[in-house]
Amino acid sequence: MLAQQLLNGILAGSVYALFALGFTLMFGVLGVINLTYGFYFSTGAFVALHATRYLHMQIWEALPFAAAIAGLIAIVIDELLLGPLRRAKAPELSSLMVTLGATLLLYSLMTAWFTTDIRRFPPTVFDGGAFEIQGLRITLSQILIVAAVVSIVGGLAWLLRRTKLGLAIRALAENDDVAQLMGVNVGGVVHLVSFISGALGGAAGVMIGLNYNAIQPYMGESMMLKGFAVIILGGLGDIRGAVLAGLALGILETLTAGYVASSMKDAVGFLLLVLTLWFRPVGLFGRIAAKRA
Amino acid sequence: MTHALDNFLFTYQSLIYALGINSLLALSMYVVLAIGQLSLGQAAFMGLGAYASALLTAKFAIPFPLALIAAAAVPALLAFVIGAPTLRLSGVYLAIATIGVGEVLRIFYLNWDYAGGALGLNGIPEEAGFVWIFGVLAVALAGFAAIARSRIGRAMEAIRADEAAAGVMGVNLPVYKLAALVVSAAVAGVAGAFNAHVSSFIGPNEYGFDAAVTILSFALLGGIGSPFGPVLGALVLTALPEVLRPLHDYRLVINGLIIVCVVIFLPGGLLPWRLSRIGAPR
Amino acid sequence: MIDRRRLNLLAVACLGAFAFATGARAADPVTIGAVEILTGPNNKYGVAIKNGFDLALGEVNKAGGVLGAPLAIAYEDSAGNKDQAINAVRALIGAKNAPLILGPTLSNEMFAAGPIANQRKIPIVGTSTTAVGITAIGPYVFRTSLPEADVVPVTLRTARDRLGVKKVAVMYANDDAFSKSGYDVMKAALEKLGIETLTTETFGTRDTDFSAQMTKVKSVNPDAIVVSALVEPAAGILLAKKALGIPASVRVIGGNGLNSPKIGEIAGDAADGVIVGSPWFIGKADPVNQKFVAAYREKYNSDPDQFAAQAYDTLFIVADAIKAAGAADPEKIKDALGKVKHTGVLGPFSFTPDRDPADTSGVVVIEMKDGKFGLLQ
Repeated sequence: MLAQQLLNGILAGSVYALFALGFTLMFGVLGVINLTYGFYFSTGAFVALHATRYLHMQIWEALPFAAAIAGLIAIVIDELLLGPLRRAKAPELSSLMVTLGATLLLYSLMTAWFTTDIRRFPPTVFDGGAFEIQGLRITLSQILIVAAVVSIVGGLAWLLRRTKLGLAIRALAENDDVAQLMGVNVGGVVHLVSFISGALGGAAGVMIGLNYNAIQPYMGESMMLKGFAVIILGGLGDIRGAVLAGLALGILETLTAGYVASSMKDAVGFLLLVLTLWFRPVGLFGRIAAKRA
Repeated sequence: MTHALDNFLFTYQSLIYALGINSLLALSMYVVLAIGQLSLGQAAFMGLGAYASALLTAKFAIPFPLALIAAAAVPALLAFVIGAPTLRLSGVYLAIATIGVGEVLRIFYLNWDYAGGALGLNGIPEEAGFVWIFGVLAVALAGFAAIARSRIGRAMEAIRADEAAAGVMGVNLPVYKLAALVVSAAVAGVAGAFNAHVSSFIGPNEYGFDAAVTILSFALLGGIGSPFGPVLGALVLTALPEVLRPLHDYRLVINGLIIVCVVIFLPGGLLPWRLSRIGAPR
Repeated sequence: MIDRRRLNLLAVACLGAFAFATGARAADPVTIGAVEILTGPNNKYGVAIKNGFDLALGEVNKAGGVLGAPLAIAYEDSAGNKDQAINAVRALIGAKNAPLILGPTLSNEMFAAGPIANQRKIPIVGTSTTAVGITAIGPYVFRTSLPEADVVPVTLRTARDRLGVKKVAVMYANDDAFSKSGYDVMKAALEKLGIETLTTETFGTRDTDFSAQMTKVKSVNPDAIVVSALVEPAAGILLAKKALGIPASVRVIGGNGLNSPKIGEIAGDAADGVIVGSPWFIGKADPVNQKFVAAYREKYNSDPDQFAAQAYDTLFIVADAIKAAGAADPEKIKDALGKVKHTGVLGPFSFTPDRDPADTSGVVVIEMKDGKFGLLQ
């Protein structure tokens, strides 16, 4: 049972990691906690659902398609809500409040439209086949998720460390005024980062929706609560920290449910969150956060 | 005639109480916003006050006024515990920590069978009435208005305008911030006690994120220039959906829209004026 | 003499006026109130209930109404919110003078709104509130829905006797009142029936990932899994059960939350083999039920569910009580309710002295097969 539980934990953890990645990237570069982020998670799942159902896409087509749509929506929301505040140099809490209001608005509209009924992918979208190795059971969708998360994280690391664009993003994260002086197209990079973050959130939504076959508007809100725990634990704005903290949270939750009590499963993340804030607010691995704070 | 009046009061009793309770909640939000911080734990503090007082009156038959003191003290203590580490950091940390606290408390109530678990607490005596709710509201409003016009109020305003500058000018930042959060939690806790003692039943899922955001929308709509703004915001947003029934279904949409529009277009809210300008000596 | 005749005339005139007056009053309908979830995410329950009431209302009025007047229902929406349920009950009593209130839909709403009606001495009749302790609110609170405490033991006994279930794993959502209250009933029934509980796992109603809990359940090798949850998380459990390769011979035995065709719609073939107990079943062969199902389909173009069926019966029960009371007086209606005997689509019905349904003979155990519920074979 331990091996199976670890596998469950790694699976949940990699999706937490993927979700937290976009969330923390947004904070690290743009310097705001964007609470609409969870909405991109729901959006990604719903777009993929409709793409497979009505546009008859295969899942490997629907995944990038849904991620791209979520990314584009993220650019629009950022421009509409945070653009005016950035230009007015409003205090950081204004952006927190504005995205908070927008979250409520967006979820309510989405619920009015789609209702809170749970939807699922058409059964033909993905073969639910499974392998069994010495009692350890792995389904195809689980393999897909872990593979996708590994390649997306790898791709993002490569983009940030090895490309000129990555250099520009990192420059913006350090200091936007200086970055502008050095010739970085700040507006363009802001849009790019919004897009990447939105797409990461959207992709995470598709995968969760696929694996547990349950899609509904508020799925992003519950995920956001886990997301907070992960990015604080990893250190606000710390990308490597988000990945490690995401995996750690997934595994800890599963082990808690398996060996302690399943009623404590959801408390794990929040207890870690509160303890981190109390004892080590820069996050377990954090350096960047210390400066940001 | 008295019969008609009686029926009228019976019909609208809950609404009238809600007006007072929500005004108190808006005031509790005001105290934190007034020093430029954001707490998303007002609903959680309210819930803690509700549970603390309801357990005392329903299970131990403690007199309501004593329970009311506990309803203020318990959330205040929690606010102290959360605020001490997080208020040293940037405002984002307090906001996230207070969301976390709300969730931890919810899970705690759910697993605490003595307090009814998921079934909630039943049979709470209906002790809070018109006099209690609006009496406390009047006292709180007068108190906050007096503070706003005092030295303390000016220091709070300075912190909100520019924290670093206020610190340089000698305002004791950690003390002010922590005191504001603790007072705010106590006020929210009292509102929670009233909420529990007018409806006889409370449940663990009533003090969640949506409630916290609704409280924020009260304060932002009214404006935080003076304590009267948030109260006006609470009155409008509580009464409007009852008067215009169709608005009821879109309550959350409207609350969200208000927050977005106020922050971007109307940073002062409906009543942007500061108190000191009204009748203050120049 | 003349005087005498005049007096008689006067008397006749007075009688006529009186008759006219009562006649005019008779044209005014007797209006009772109903508080149901008509909007919002859970409105499917409230709408089904309203459909059931309206269908029965038409039949009652066709047969002459009550007290020589038509019966009418004033609906108020609670949107599933307890504060709104309280406001609705207050409005029906204070502004509309309703002598009786039907609803509210959820047990939570009843716990909040029931005391208000009870305090005003207005009978309030829940048609879908199954939690423990509903009627303990007070002497004016009734319910016509069989509490889970009456249905679940029947289901579990049937599973033990017919399928040889001896040891089970129990799963329940610990964050909503409905599921928790169902779990309490299951726990008691399992102990009483001598069925061993190997493990008890919890989850949240909005959870989608059940893999950790189901892995644990799989590791203890139960004969069956007993689930108390609303339909959405229950479907998630069924999907996780299939994904983890727990064999189909390990049945899922559910509480009332699983008693919905939606379980098959969401979980697909993973829902096959689910067993639930139900106070009502669409395929019940008796003519009263057949007539109800046909009339419902004709009027609403869809199949009735148990909530519609319970509501349908309840309206006849309430109408009988008003007739027996002889006046639209809350106190008399309350007394009459306690004495009503009615045979409806749910079978024979009367109230216990504690205002709960007295008869459980209508309970059937049904199983899911190819996406449809049928009687357990």
